Amino acid sequence: MEIIEVIDLAKRYSGFVALERVNLEVAEGEIFGLLGPNGAGKTTMIRILTGQAKPSAGRVRIAGLDIAHDIVKVKRHIGYVPEVSNLYDEMSAWDNLIFASELYGVPRSEREKRAKELLELVGLLDRRNDKVSTFSKGMKRRLTIVAALIHKPDLLILDEPTSGLDVQSALTIRNFIKELNKDATVFMTTHYIEEADQLCRRIAIIQNGRIIAVDRPEALKSSMMEQQVIEVSFSPSGALEDKLACLANVIRVSKGGDKFRLYVEDASKVFPLLIDFASESDLRILSLNTLKPSLEDAFVKITGISPNVMASEKELGKRSADVG
Amino acid sequence: MSWRAKKNLEREARMLDRYDSCREAMKMEISNKWFDGFVRALYIARKDARVYYFKAPNFTYGLLMPASLFLAFSLAGQMNVALVVSGLPALAIMFGTMSIEAVAIVLEKQTGTFERLLTAPVSFFSLLLGKAISGFLFGLTIGALTFIPIALITGTHVANPVLVLIAVAYSSMVFSALGVLVSAFANWVPEAQMLSNLLRFPMTFLAGTFIPFETMPPQLLIVARLLPLTYCVEAFRIAVTDSTAIVTYVIDIFVLALFSFILLMMASKILQRKLG
Repeated sequence: MEIIEVIDLAKRYSGFVALERVNLEVAEGEIFGLLGPNGAGKTTMIRILTGQAKPSAGRVRIAGLDIAHDIVKVKRHIGYVPEVSNLYDEMSAWDNLIFASELYGVPRSEREKRAKELLELVGLLDRRNDKVSTFSKGMKRRLTIVAALIHKPDLLILDEPTSGLDVQSALTIRNFIKELNKDATVFMTTHYIEEADQLCRRIAIIQNGRIIAVDRPEALKSSMMEQQVIEVSFSPSGALEDKLACLANVIRVSKGGDKFRLYVEDASKVFPLLIDFASESDLRILSLNTLKPSLEDAFVKITGISPNVMASEKELGKRSADVG
Repeated sequence: MSWRAKKNLEREARMLDRYDSCREAMKMEISNKWFDGFVRALYIARKDARVYYFKAPNFTYGLLMPASLFLAFSLAGQMNVALVVSGLPALAIMFGTMSIEAVAIVLEKQTGTFERLLTAPVSFFSLLLGKAISGFLFGLTIGALTFIPIALITGTHVANPVLVLIAVAYSSMVFSALGVLVSAFANWVPEAQMLSNLLRFPMTFLAGTFIPFETMPPQLLIVARLLPLTYCVEAFRIAVTDSTAIVTYVIDIFVLALFSFILLMMASKILQRKLG
């Protein structure tokens, strides 16, 4: 059964189309990822799903309820975790959870028990009386997540859950999301392609307000199978992209670290050309491998956007928001 | 009566029973919805009171500005005791309540905590009601903190303390609602303060606070009748000095209630439109 059904959804702001004829279904129990660059419509989508914005056209049903008619009831089924902590910094962790339980109508007799369980779950029980303003970013994120779980929601909506976290905290949150998925459906947005690949059962790629692909990560990767990827590293290494792109059968070249990735139609035809190229250019081949296409490759093929560009856009957006 | 007619009657009776129980259930759901909404509004109000409102600087600002103005006018020899006792609490409620109400909501919008309230299972009206209740409680407190000492210091004989209490309550309500409306237009705290001042300062001088209505030119009287502060000051004055003018007092209270309702509805519509 579908927990989210989005039918012909559109959202227009004055003179700007944020979402256009979006159709989406999320089944109960899955982790569903919405992947896309800045300004693609991810935030608008989340704002509509969580009742913060109204659609200009189309319908959205959550847990069988139409958000246009039953938004208050719909919100009882949702736990929402925004990208930036929306906890009250001036209040303690405990008071934040109790306030959340009051807002969500958790029975008085269960509030304290539930708050204690959740704080224990994220290892913050001993800090329960400390003000949230004294917490690290990772601690705040964990507390924001459990604040969204206080009413035991069927659907957990996470906006960029690991954005801005250090590697260890991000890993903790990812494992936590997997745990949470045992009891709730997870709908998440992310700009980390690797994260979507690891966590999500299905992924939708959104660009310019339109969903341009929805499938399992493996299925998206297999759409790349008509291309093969060769990874090669030379000594000395330098700016060789343009020269490599001129080789026969090479479709595209990208560079990551000291390695070049060549997207080719037939790897066996390119190997001898690479060896010739190395000897003619007086280069030594340090490594030469064929790779399976990654979700990143599929994303680039579908959207035409480099993941590096997406990440830097995100950082730029965050920095300008911080400045603002 | 035939067997068929009897059966038909029985069926109709069963249907009516079912209809009645259905109607009862619907009524219950509606009353539960309203009750739930009100309870959540109270939780929001309590949180606001703890986080933003009941802090010393907020009271200081609410009291300092009106007190300075009254002192200035008193030194110029333009004030009498009745004007001070009725005007100062009204001004303190306006300055204190509007400021903190508008700033608290804008601050929540800026820090993202307003999003927490928007995504909770609370109707938008309940959310704003919660905000207005906290402002109302703040207004009650600052009104009492101003009125009681001033009445004691000046040795004023208060004509009807109950009417004073009602005037404090309705004044708190209207300026709390006006604060919510200001917050709907402002995106930043300085913007909220600037908009509040744009409304407060003209009201301060045009609402009969420093210049009695009797000495006002007719054109200004028309303007004064459009301002909520006018009705607060008038209600205070009647409650303090002349509780026989009860009809005027009731009209003042009714107008303040109407203002509160209209301002809150406007704020709700504008905020909802701005939030998308």
